[in-house]
Amino acid sequence: MSFAATLALARAEGRTLLNEVEAKDLLREAGVSVTNTTLARSAAEAVTQAEAAGYPVVLKVVSADISHKSDAGGVKLNLKDAGDVRAAYDAIVASCTKHVPGARITGVAVQHMAPAGTEVIVGMTTDPQFGPVMMFGLGGIMVEILKDVSFRLVPLTERDAGQMISEIKGKPVLDGVRGQPPSDIAALRRTILQVSQFVEAHPEVRELDLNPIFAYPDGAIAVDARIVISEA
Amino acid sequence: MTVPGHKLDRMFNPKVVAVVGDKGPGYMWLHNNLPFKEQGGKLYSVQLDPKEIEGIEKLGIQNFTSMADIPEPIDYAVVAVPRQVSPYVLKDLIANGAHGAGFFTSGFAETGEELGVKLQNQLVEAAKAANFNLVGPNCMGLYLPKVGVRFNNDAPVANDGRIGFLSQSGTHGIMFTLVAAANGMHLSRCASIGNAVVLDVSDYVDYLMQDDESEVIGMYVEGPRDGRRFFATLREACERKPVVVWKGGQTEAGARATSSHTGSLASSQAIWEGMVRQCGAIATNNLDETIDVMMALTKAKRPKGPGMALLAQTGGQSVSITDAFAKAGFTVPRFTDATYGELQSFFNVIGGSYQNPLDMGGTIQGKVEVLQRILDIVEADPNVDGIAMELSAMFAARQWKKNPESLDQMLDALVAQAAKTEKPLVTVLHPAHEAEYVASVQHKFHARNLPAFQSFERAAAALRRVREYELGRE
Repeated sequence: MSFAATLALARAEGRTLLNEVEAKDLLREAGVSVTNTTLARSAAEAVTQAEAAGYPVVLKVVSADISHKSDAGGVKLNLKDAGDVRAAYDAIVASCTKHVPGARITGVAVQHMAPAGTEVIVGMTTDPQFGPVMMFGLGGIMVEILKDVSFRLVPLTERDAGQMISEIKGKPVLDGVRGQPPSDIAALRRTILQVSQFVEAHPEVRELDLNPIFAYPDGAIAVDARIVISEA
Repeated sequence: MTVPGHKLDRMFNPKVVAVVGDKGPGYMWLHNNLPFKEQGGKLYSVQLDPKEIEGIEKLGIQNFTSMADIPEPIDYAVVAVPRQVSPYVLKDLIANGAHGAGFFTSGFAETGEELGVKLQNQLVEAAKAANFNLVGPNCMGLYLPKVGVRFNNDAPVANDGRIGFLSQSGTHGIMFTLVAAANGMHLSRCASIGNAVVLDVSDYVDYLMQDDESEVIGMYVEGPRDGRRFFATLREACERKPVVVWKGGQTEAGARATSSHTGSLASSQAIWEGMVRQCGAIATNNLDETIDVMMALTKAKRPKGPGMALLAQTGGQSVSITDAFAKAGFTVPRFTDATYGELQSFFNVIGGSYQNPLDMGGTIQGKVEVLQRILDIVEADPNVDGIAMELSAMFAARQWKKNPESLDQMLDALVAQAAKTEKPLVTVLHPAHEAEYVASVQHKFHARNLPAFQSFERAAAALRRVREYELGRE
């Protein structure tokens, strides 16, 4: 679906939050490296899609009423075969229905489980004073506890993207510590710039999280994506 | 120097100035602007209260009871009238053909009162309709040291100012002006911009970045009205000259509604810092940091690399100066063998050291030619990008007092050294137990435009800011 069509659909349904599958489709179209993710509306569809994606897979609930997916039991990782997938699908639906009574469950997002990399976050938010701004940081504890993040105003130059990465305190983690290989900084820079261009082209995007992105020695890929659009 | 064609040019280079509504017994605004008259500018007063007129005329200033009687267009006016009267005064100014005015008058939207908001809206509407350059309101207006237009009676009249400064706070504008002067720096042009409802901070930045007299721009800002325009203007200004941004009000005003992780992390302070870096501006947090970095920018060359030669008078201080510069991210490199060879030939190593940092008091023993020799050798070392030197009031003040020429000779040697190299040379003169004496010799540093910082840490922080600015331009 095009951006306009996705926007129209979400607005028709009274949503400002795009679901993971929608968000990733739009970002992929914009050139951003995201995991291939499909929407399954039944356990059988989930199995078919898991076979196509290749095991192991991850299943995540898709529901406009559930924003904290893990808390509701809506995420299952490292599923190794069709039996795992079928069981996980049913467990997700059951758990989410129990945690959020009355939640409308669109289905479950199916994706190949990407190998773990160094976790980073790339995001965008709309500042009341400066408009769209981009954020970069290391994922996990670095962002949660230390708030080790950097900001730049959209639109960004290549140099801005490079400085965002180099100015975080945890930068040595990306350079490779304790025998870890260095992360692909150029790929991260590219991702930041692509997201900057994406939000510049689509002023309806109010907020965006790629969290986490797995950074590898060769490339980087966003395994979760979240887009909030403005109200119509 | 002017910026021909710029919409603020006439106001920033006035030949006719009017003070509206000043009151005795102090006549603060007339006194502030007497130097303008003394330098040949036309200074008028507008005051209709007969009780005030005698005092105004005693100052030798021609008073008009109606602005309509002023025989020529006003370039810049200071308005100090009650807030209810201010819309009428603005109307008169526009009718006069006046170009701009600083409204000292306060009690507008900053009070949050309905009447204040209403009066401010009236000013904004009328000024915008007439394309009138309203500075403020609720501000100290312009300070133009060269022509003698001033916002404070202690502010110097000077034609050698190199710093253009803007302040959202009147106090900080005046304070920066006075403390800069106390540190041997003058301003080219300054505006206290108050509520900034007609002219925003970006309008003034746009002028200063084109004004050749303002080699460096500084500002105290709490928040521009139009953030995107400020970003664009600041970025352009930074391409032309160094811009120092002292941000006030750094705490978060309150959480914002957000449903993203990014939004929850996006404090306005963090975004501001990112914006300032993106523009290539120099960020400071307080008056002292702002003064110090201005001193480094206007009185020293810019370091082209991280390697500092640190020259202390004693062993303990050689450790402290090294700590300060290392913590600020500088390196204290080994000298080349050639440098060591030369220093070794005359250095007194008993109670001294010619390693970097140098412990050189015992070698110099007050002899300027020895200091010169050391400076020449160290400056020539390819590992050295800049020199910071301690002047010890604690040990030397007694000698300087006894023989003031010895201080002059040393300062002359330092200035001569600074002039012949592209590497920065800064001094650190901690007042120690001689604060009064040290204050009394500051003018000797100022006359030579020699940077003297009050502590190792302040010198290191100022040079680090300049270094980061330079790195951002590479």
